[in-house]
Amino acid sequence: MNRREVTFGLGALAASGLFPWTRAHAAGPDLVAAAEAEGKVTWYTTMIVDQSVRPLAAAFMKRYPKIAVEFTRAGSGDTALKIINEGQAGRMMGDVFDGTATFSSVMPAGFVEPYKPDSAAAYPDKFKAADGSWHALNFYYLTAAYNTDLVSADEAPKTFNDLLDPKWKNQLVWSVVPEPVAAPGFLGNMLMAKGEEQGMAYLDKLAAQKVTNMNSSQRTVLDRVIVGDFPMGLMVFNHHVAISKAKGAPIEWLHMEPLVSSASLLGLIKGAPHPNAGKLFIDWLLSDEGQRVLASTNYLPSRPGVDAAIPTLLPTGPKPFETTFMSPTIVADNLKTWIGLLDKKFM
Amino acid sequence: MTIEQDWPRVSQQKAGARASWLRLDQTRVLVIALAIILGILVAPPAIILLLRSLSITNPDATVGGWTLTHYLRFFTNPDLYRTLVNSLTFALFSTVVALLFGGTLAWLVERTNTRFKALAYLTTVISMGTPYILYVSAWLFLLGRSGPFNDAWRTMTGTRQVLFNPYSLTGMILIEGFLWSPLVFLLLSSTFRSANADLEEAARMSGAGVLRTVWSVSIRMATPAIAALALFVFIRAIEAFEVPALVGMPGNVDVLTTDVYRSIKESIPPDLGYASAYSVVLLVAVAILLHFYGKLSRNAGRYSTVTGKGYRPRQFDLGKWRPVGDALVIFNFLIVLVLPLLALLWLSLLPYMRPMRPSGVAQFSLANFATVLSSEYYRTLAINTLIVGVVAASVGMILALFTGWLSARRKAGAQFVDQLATMPLVFPGIVMGVAFLMIFLSVPLPIYGTIWALAIAYTVRYLPYGLRYTYAGVLQISNELEEAAGASGATPLQSLRRVIAPLLSPALLSGWLFIFLIATKELAVAVLLSGPSSPVVAVGMYDLWVNGQGGELAAFGLIWAAVMTLVASVFYLAGGRAGGAGAH
Repeated sequence: MNRREVTFGLGALAASGLFPWTRAHAAGPDLVAAAEAEGKVTWYTTMIVDQSVRPLAAAFMKRYPKIAVEFTRAGSGDTALKIINEGQAGRMMGDVFDGTATFSSVMPAGFVEPYKPDSAAAYPDKFKAADGSWHALNFYYLTAAYNTDLVSADEAPKTFNDLLDPKWKNQLVWSVVPEPVAAPGFLGNMLMAKGEEQGMAYLDKLAAQKVTNMNSSQRTVLDRVIVGDFPMGLMVFNHHVAISKAKGAPIEWLHMEPLVSSASLLGLIKGAPHPNAGKLFIDWLLSDEGQRVLASTNYLPSRPGVDAAIPTLLPTGPKPFETTFMSPTIVADNLKTWIGLLDKKFM
Repeated sequence: MTIEQDWPRVSQQKAGARASWLRLDQTRVLVIALAIILGILVAPPAIILLLRSLSITNPDATVGGWTLTHYLRFFTNPDLYRTLVNSLTFALFSTVVALLFGGTLAWLVERTNTRFKALAYLTTVISMGTPYILYVSAWLFLLGRSGPFNDAWRTMTGTRQVLFNPYSLTGMILIEGFLWSPLVFLLLSSTFRSANADLEEAARMSGAGVLRTVWSVSIRMATPAIAALALFVFIRAIEAFEVPALVGMPGNVDVLTTDVYRSIKESIPPDLGYASAYSVVLLVAVAILLHFYGKLSRNAGRYSTVTGKGYRPRQFDLGKWRPVGDALVIFNFLIVLVLPLLALLWLSLLPYMRPMRPSGVAQFSLANFATVLSSEYYRTLAINTLIVGVVAASVGMILALFTGWLSARRKAGAQFVDQLATMPLVFPGIVMGVAFLMIFLSVPLPIYGTIWALAIAYTVRYLPYGLRYTYAGVLQISNELEEAAGASGATPLQSLRRVIAPLLSPALLSGWLFIFLIATKELAVAVLLSGPSSPVVAVGMYDLWVNGQGGELAAFGLIWAAVMTLVASVFYLAGGRAGGAGAH
């Protein structure tokens, strides 16, 4: 039995939860040595820094103290742009990327380096690309949320059609960043759920409600709702709502079905300056240890056997909900169309 | 030609002739060396913009062939008209706000018996050390839908609608106007200080009322200075990036600078050809405006009446209007200093953004401050920014010293060097960023993505400002001193080092601090050049704002602003001693 098989076996055992003491991440010593020689990994992330990036980076650096994690946070679109621009200029700075729409831009541009980490063996096929070009890092569920100081539970809309009530005119806000987990995904959700014709009719009516467009992250949209700038926000992450609620913020999310679901896809950048550190970091992020740290921040882990800290955030949890899954293929095929539609109808 | 080659020949000359040979030679070498250094720093941004604006950009980001399509697209863009009108409206009205507000304040504080004058200076000094983004985010919160003003309005009227939406052209104008008012105050206060009070006295004694005197005498006398300053603020507002990015972009109010930014940051691959064409047009526009500014500012001192007598002008008695003056000084103190700081303090103490209401106090914690002080990231931000600021200010002032001296003494070739050093003035920050981005991506040096990229770009961008300090400073030093040094056998460089530089040190210090303060807070250049390994404060703050970490932004911003205020205080004190070698 070679080392790979040993690690694989241990990983599988750990994943099955039989040996909880084997949860500590164990990558091959060669990879660790090569990664340590590189000394740092640059992570182009779309996650929110204080909520999850910092805890993840800190835990990795605790496990591998000789490797520093540098990160830059931006949306999927900006992150993809950065990678493509740097790659085309021959000045690649990043090693690892994630995001819901990063992959669909970076892959066709030719800047993804396929890599199958040992820790990913435990993942079902639908959570990873066959060639190792991407792995699901975590899941997102997007919905509407309202400020509980300004809107009562009774008054809050229950369905998408309720959003068309005149009282919500000028009161709604969303992020228009070019991602399936923002306004473009809302449009896609309506077109897929209601069908092309009815979906379009619905979007025309919604456009008349004058939704406020923000160019920043979904997190800032939620903050504007929490602070009371708007009574209600669309396309916010339900786990962000949970994180803020835990701090006492007057906010609640709605089971407005179908919710949009999406996965953040993790990948290695081709021509990365620290390829081994990048591989080790990916291996660790997908490992039982990395996924547990991710789950502890209230993000929703992708690894089988690692439970979400707040199960009600999941469609399969105690309060189940319907979702439209924005699969990598759907995103690659439709995102541009939805962005164009958004520009035409809502900007 | 180098000094070494000429040395043997020179040493064969007679003593007297040797001195003149050396002087001629040293100066000439200096001019040539400066021309080469400045040429390398200043010319490439303009050249690369021009080349890229005329080149076809292939889908794989390579460049090939010539084209005019980028310019055609620019001029046929249906949104151009709207963007242009937005830009002009924004610049014009924010100039009016800044001048009315800052100018009135300067007159009140310098020329009248208004009380609480110290508050005006305090406001100005602290505002000089505070990053623009911090101000903008604080005012956005204050003027926002849930800010104290709208909150009070809603409580009073019971509606859900708002009195005022800051994410609008009006909001942009107000915020930009407030942002510039401290600088207007600073510059106009020196104008009013040196104005002759006798004319105002005479007007009052001839029976003119307060308003009539102010209108027909005080303002008339300051008109040339005000006109020059107005054009200057107008140009800066056309070039502004912070307010358009933080206020305009979320409110869908596009101006020229945000359009350039979008064409780089929001398209794959970045539309560098279009951005370059756009930039070239902006450059030309700013160059034309600056040409008129140059004409105006030459006349700025036309009515200044500094004489030996009445050096401290008598103060104008506002009479019954005095409380109005007091109120305005306090209003400025509140709106430009106290309220933004309070808003930031409020945000920094809360775990998430909440409206300013008493109920929030129960949730106060120092968690954001603890995170900021213990985080490696914030330490890196601060250190990188300080390095960039120190390098840009030091290199910039050294170049400015030589250029300013050559130019003030009208040495042969100095005019060319001076023009080179002044050229960066026509570059809006975002355009400078575009140009240097393309340069660093194409040179085979490992500069892209490092803090040295920023240091170089800031050195070039603020060189003209440093030059203003040294040029004005050298003019104030009589040529006799150098002639005396020369007669005693000193070479030009020796007298520059041992006579001019020491006498110039207050101006050099002021210039250094000015560049340092502005290079450590401006976003426009850095937003395109700062990478994951070279984060700086302004970009870090922008990221925090865009990504929704307002609490940490406020905590970090307050700490940073406190440190920078110390630097700004030194600037203010040094500026006082430099005898008004003030530059714009």
